[in-house]
Parts: sequence; structure tokens; C-alpha cells
Amino acid sequence: MVVLSIILFSGLAFLFLPGQHPPEQSLENAKQALDQAVKASVLRYAEPTYRSAQGLMQKGWMEMAFQNGRLAPFRNYRIADSLLNLATAMAHQATLQAQDRIQKLDSTAQNERAELENELLLCREALDGGSWANFKAERYWSLADMSLKTSELLLDKGEYEEARQTAEKGRKSLHQLVELLAEYANDEAKKIQIWRRWVQETLDESRANGTYAVIVDKAAHKTYLIRSGEIAHVYKCELGYNSAHQKLFSGDGATPEGKYTISTVKRASKFYRALLISYPNQMDKNRFSENKRKGIIAPHARIGGLIEIHGGGGQNRDWTDGCVALTDREMDNIMQYVTVDTPVTIVRRSDRWP
Amino acid sequence: MYKRIAVVFALFALLVFIGCAKPPDQEIQKANSSIEAARAAEAEEYVPESFQVAMDTLNAANASKQEADGKFALFRSYSKAKALYVSADALASKASQDAAAEKERVKQEVTGLLTQAKAVLDSANAALAKAPKGKGSKADIELIKNDLAAAQASFDDANNDFNAGKYKIAKAKVEAAMQKAQAVIDEIAAAKAKKMGK
Repeated sequence: MVVLSIILFSGLAFLFLPGQHPPEQSLENAKQALDQAVKASVLRYAEPTYRSAQGLMQKGWMEMAFQNGRLAPFRNYRIADSLLNLATAMAHQATLQAQDRIQKLDSTAQNERAELENELLLCREALDGGSWANFKAERYWSLADMSLKTSELLLDKGEYEEARQTAEKGRKSLHQLVELLAEYANDEAKKIQIWRRWVQETLDESRANGTYAVIVDKAAHKTYLIRSGEIAHVYKCELGYNSAHQKLFSGDGATPEGKYTISTVKRASKFYRALLISYPNQMDKNRFSENKRKGIIAPHARIGGLIEIHGGGGQNRDWTDGCVALTDREMDNIMQYVTVDTPVTIVRRSDRWP
Repeated sequence: MYKRIAVVFALFALLVFIGCAKPPDQEIQKANSSIEAARAAEAEEYVPESFQVAMDTLNAANASKQEADGKFALFRSYSKAKALYVSADALASKASQDAAAEKERVKQEVTGLLTQAKAVLDSANAALAKAPKGKGSKADIELIKNDLAAAQASFDDANNDFNAGKYKIAKAKVEAAMQKAQAVIDEIAAAKAKKMGK
């Protein structure tokens, strides 16, 4: 009986022996690590690792709860503790992954933005340093500039990938700008022979007849007064605000390129004095019709006219609607020599004179 | 004697039967559904702290249930787990509502910005239409038109992002568009003032 009592007492004592302590601290650590991970934007940049850590924490917690439910002597928290510690380590790993990804994305976006800024400056120099305004190219530049500003705002908001994409879009606009300039240079290279011929014909005619002629070199922004095939005067001139191109229609701001004559001499004009030239000539008319047919210009567009050499110049920029502007003093000078029917040849570029 | 033993056994069996509590299946299902609904409502992104509290409560409820599961049937009780599941359900539902409200707030904020930007762009276009015209200002007007076209393109991009639910991105783009349009208005105003000063 005594033995039975001892066994019973020992059994009861065994059941009430204090068991292991549950890994509450490990659970707390795992929770904190997961909280930190969420704050480090893991859901966006390291979600798979974060979800694994979350799963481990839940398993560890469940294992801990399972052990809690057992009788004290049978409790074993080793697995729960391991799972929770693993969850903590994985949550830290997710945080590091997110930080690393953010750093890389930020760095890539910053580089792209810096490249765009650099290319914008280079293109600006190319546009400002050109002989004339090129509005199509300017449009690409404006789009790229807008992209730069947008990418900066996106970077501030931590939208790194979108900032990179926006900067990349801006760089594409600049590449289109560069292509446009190259295409333009290529077009010039093709047409230079024609312009050379026009200049030569004007000089030959002037020489043969002993008369005056006017040659305008748009790229050089120079107007040459020719007497008997030789330069008599050189005037600095200003052109249409869209001077880089051949005139296609009324209101395009381009100064026409072609062989014309003076049709009217105006002693008084809105811009001091003026020499109206015979734009459009037959070539201009043919080109206009062809462009309309091809849909290059709008059906309602008009060919325009009223292209003059007039005063009001000296503004150091291309500002007219397509006319050639000299200073008032130079107008006085040129009008001493030219009359109605004096040839006026306008070329985009001439390599005849330095 | 046998009769007495049978009564004791019957009583014991009844006690065990009464003591064997059932897990709160309905509450578990409800809480899990609410958590999933909160996740679908992007509560993790819009109200991360509220969602985390709901998630922790659900984990605690699961742990409590697990603990109860491990106990001897006679001592098993799910009352704590049940209360936690009910609480997790309520917290998750609240997180869903808060997330929807926060999302709506951000959406309204960007909607407001888009409306504001549209007004600034319209003002810029109106200012451009009334900009001082003259032979010398056409080049400037052409450049301003380019700037305005770029601002409009950014505004259109912002609208697309907004419609795709990318509110933060839309916000940055619309702000950039607005700044550009405002710069155009200021530029035209300065040109007007300069002309009037002449």
C-alpha cells in the first residue's frame, strides 16, 4: 500500500514538474523582424522571402502553442524556437533584399536621369549653336525636358522603376532629335549641289549683264549684294523664325529657298522700307501642289506670299514670318543699287564664301 | 455493486462528453475570410499597421486553438481562441474598410490634382491664345506651344496611370504637368508685362 502511494505520489509530482519555458522572446523577435521588413517595403521588393518568413513564424507559433497544450514534462520547444529563429533570420534577409533592390533601382534610375540631363544639355547646345531655329527638334527637346522633371518627382516619391522608365522615354525623345538633325544634315548634303548651281547662275548672269543681284545665304545669315559677278556689299540678316527649312506653306515661319526677282520696291513699309520678291515661283507652286497631294501639308493650307527684304533688323535672332530683315541703315544702302527685276537668290547654305 | 459502477462510468462518460468542447469552426472561417478580403482590398499597402494587428490577432487565435487542441479533452476549452477569432474578424473587416477609405482618399487627392492641372492647362492655352502677337513673337510662341504640348503629354500619361490605379505615379506626373503649364502662364504674363512697359 505504501509502495502504491509512493508511486502514485511520484506520478503526480512528475506531472506537475515545471516544464521548459516557451520561446516567447523568439516569437517577439520574429514579429519585430517582420514589422521592420514591412516598413522596408518588402511587400513590393522582396515579397517571396517575406512570405516565407511569415509562414515560418506562423509554423513556429503553432508549434509553440501545440507544446503549450501538452503536459509540462512532455513539452519541447526546440522545434518552435528553431522555426521562430529561422523566421527572424528570413525576415532580416527580406529586409536586406528589399534595401538592396531599392538601392539598385534608385541607382539605375539616378544614372538614367543623369544621362538624360547630360544629353539634354548637349542637345540644347547643339540647338542653340545651330544656324537657325528648328521647331520640330525643339519639340523633342521640350518632351525630354518634361521627362527629366517628371522622373525627378518620381524619384522623390520612391517610384524608382517608373522614374527610370520616364528618363528613358526622355532619352528616346532626344535620340529622335539627334536623328532629325542628322536627317536634316543629310538633306542639306543632297541639296548643296542645287544651291551651288543657283549661286553660280546668279553670279554668271550678273557678270554677263553687268547688273546687280542679291544672294541670301540662310545658314551664314548673310545677304550679298553682287555687282557684275563680284561681291559689292555683305549685310548681316535675320530670317523667318523657322528658318531651318524650305518654305512649304503660308504661316510656317520659313524663309523660302529659290531663285526670285524683286517685284516691287517699297519706299515706305511697316518695317521701314521693303523689297517684295517674286515668291512663290513655279518650283514653289509645284512643290506646294505635290505636298498637298501627298498629304504632307493640310488641304486648307495656302502657299502664302509677301516675302520681302525689309528693315527692322538688328535683333540678333530669327523673328520674321519668312522675310529677310536688314537693319534700316542697310536697307537704305541696298536700295541704292537694286530695282524691280533685280535677281534675288536664296539658298539654305552656300560654300562659295567663307 | 455492478449497478453502482455502471452509474459512475455513465457519469464519467457524460462529463467527458460535456467537457469535450468543439473548435469554433464558424469563427475560424469568418476570420480567415475577412483576412483574405482585407488582403484583396490592399490593406497591406494602404493600412499596413491595421492589417498587421488583425494578422497578429489571427495568429494568436490559431495558437490558442492549437494549444487547446493539444490538451486533454476534459480540460479543453476554445473560449479564448473563439474570442480571438471574433476579434481578428472584426479587425480584418475594419482594415478592409480603412484600406478602401485610404485608397479612396488617395484617389480623390489625385482626382483633385487632375482637375486642377486641367484648369491650369486650360488657363495656359487661353493665355497663349491671348499672348502678345507680333512678327517678333512668333518664334517665342512656337517654343511655348512645344512646352505646352509636353505638359499636355505628361497630363495624358497621368490620366492613363490614374485609370490603371497607379495613383502615386499619376500624382508625380500630374504635378510635373502642372508645374510646366504654370511656367508657361508666368512666361506669357512676363511677356505681356514687358510689352506694356514698352
